[in-house]
Amino acid sequence: MDEQFSVRQIAKSYAGVQALQDVTIDFASGLTAIVGDNGAGKSTLMKILSGVEHPDRGTIVHNGQSVTIDNPVIARKLGIESLYQDLALADTLNVIENMFLGREIVTRRFGIPVLDERAMAQAAGDTLARVRIGLPHPKTPVRYLSGGQRQAVALARALYFKAQVLLLDEPTAALGPKETSAFTSVIKELVDSGTRVVMVTHNIPQVIEMADSIVVMRAGRIVARVAPQDTSEQQLLAFMVGSQETIEEASPQWIKTHQ
Amino acid sequence: MDQNTSVRHSGRKFQWALRGRVTILFVLVLFVVFFGVTARGFFTKISLENIMVSTALFLLLSLGETYVMISGGIDLSVSSMLALSGMVSGVYISSTYHGTGPAIGITLIALALSLVLGLAGGTFNGLIIANLKLNPLIVTLGTWGVFYGGAELIANGSPVGNLTPFSYVLGNGGPLVGWVVWITLAFVIAYAWIARRTRFGRYIFAVGANREAVRRAGVNLKRQSVGVYALAGLGAGAAGFLSMAHFQTASPVAGSDYLLIAVAAVIIGGTPLTGGEGSIWGTVVGALIISVLENGFVMLNISAFWQLVAVGLTTILAVYFDEIQRHFQIAQAARRNTA
Ligand SMILES: Nc1ncnc2c1ncn2[C@@H]1O[C@H](COP(=O)(O)OP(=O)(O)OP(=O)(O)O)[C@@H](O)[C@H]1O
Ligand SMILES: [Mg+2]
Repeated sequence: MDEQFSVRQIAKSYAGVQALQDVTIDFASGLTAIVGDNGAGKSTLMKILSGVEHPDRGTIVHNGQSVTIDNPVIARKLGIESLYQDLALADTLNVIENMFLGREIVTRRFGIPVLDERAMAQAAGDTLARVRIGLPHPKTPVRYLSGGQRQAVALARALYFKAQVLLLDEPTAALGPKETSAFTSVIKELVDSGTRVVMVTHNIPQVIEMADSIVVMRAGRIVARVAPQDTSEQQLLAFMVGSQETIEEASPQWIKTHQ
Repeated sequence: MDQNTSVRHSGRKFQWALRGRVTILFVLVLFVVFFGVTARGFFTKISLENIMVSTALFLLLSLGETYVMISGGIDLSVSSMLALSGMVSGVYISSTYHGTGPAIGITLIALALSLVLGLAGGTFNGLIIANLKLNPLIVTLGTWGVFYGGAELIANGSPVGNLTPFSYVLGNGGPLVGWVVWITLAFVIAYAWIARRTRFGRYIFAVGANREAVRRAGVNLKRQSVGVYALAGLGAGAAGFLSMAHFQTASPVAGSDYLLIAVAAVIIGGTPLTGGEGSIWGTVVGALIISVLENGFVMLNISAFWQLVAVGLTTILAVYFDEIQRHFQIAQAARRNTA
């Protein structure tokens, strides 16, 4: 079975801003980290992979087939779950309602699909326990939750639907140290169980600790791809701000295997 | 295991949904007691029936308005849809009924006509708002003019009377509280049920809270919008028929007094202008508060001017208390989270 997941020559511009240009990445199994300065195009790439935005050019290959991800529903059918930078939670809805937003469990009453609150509450229970961040009662509206708890809700949503590919956009940006370590251990378990994780982050030490492969973006382009054991915080930062120029310098092996 | 208990441990059950409603229910009781004591005859059958019928007619506008406002929009055209649908079915009745028998068939066709027209008008609103991505306030202000203009054209300048006996029965007869109130109650139950028990209803709240989240959840936002405004139109259509049947006249300016109080009922009932929350039952209580005020003032022989002032002040106070309560709840939640 071909489990390849990659993007080829993706380009995307917003009214004058070239957000992505000629982006080609093979997402190996395990955790691929994407790093880069603000505005480098990281979130844009994640949104394209999750069907929220559409590329101007380029292809996405999933399980060996070229796919068109027109909308988030298609992404999910392909097994691609996302945890967005802004979390995309509906504040006045409770924890369970947010977990199942757009995918509510229904039962038929007289032929009419009716929300099955009990089934959803039961199904949510185990997953909420797995995210390891103490949550208040699951019927609490999420606007009463702390940043870490909201994060846990968004993660539980991605976990529940058993992703083949999990996209994380700055998942630990709003978390304290305790919550971050709880979060990373859940992600490590997921990676061990075979989920392919793509994580955007500004936390360079975390990247070096967790990632199996690191992609550096700058101004909409891929400027380097390195393995964590072959690089350092200084080198990654240099790539990000552009004081170390080309891909060749960074990783000759990568160029060889990807041409 | 360990994590499991941490989830259950903090599982104190909060009656979130109830909190807001208890306060306004209390306000309603307060007003009822006040007028019960001060206004002679307030607790008579005729007075209470009066309150219920006058509530019913504009409550039918408030139900759909609740949906619209929970999802973060506003519909100013509901009163004009009432006028247009009442006018069309009035003209239909007067041109087909020739004064023999109760004319049940004609009356029911007129009712269907009103409902279809309201639904069509609301769908029209929804299609424009969803497809052209225009501000609902502007769009429905525009269609307010279109629908009232249409009603004037159809009326050709004068109201229509001379309706069927069966329409009189629907508008003024019926067991106990009368058909108008029963029909409205059926609408209330249906709208409350849809809001709480269906996906469509869930998305009404979600769209008001975070439109982008709903889009990313893969929900068809256009269909959602059209559905919400269509249901606002349907209620207006029902109100159009029932007010025609109740007053036994179809007027091109019918319902012009209702827009303000229909929106006020939604706000008093706890739906914030920012959307995301609210409830049909809250709106029902809000509408009852307004009717009790209006009818109580009439019984105390206080001028209509003061009724308006009182409704206005109640609306402002309701918003104010809602705001205080929200701040209190957020502060409380923050304390719980840091504890
Ligand atoms: N919806 C949009 N409309 C216009 N421009 C956009 C839009 N979204 C992103 N951009 C632009 O595209 C570029 C890339 O943005 P993107 O959000 O992908 O950056 P990022 O790498 O995620 O940055 P950050 O680290 O700050 O989250 C930026 O210049 C941004 O201003
Ligand atoms: Mg970003």
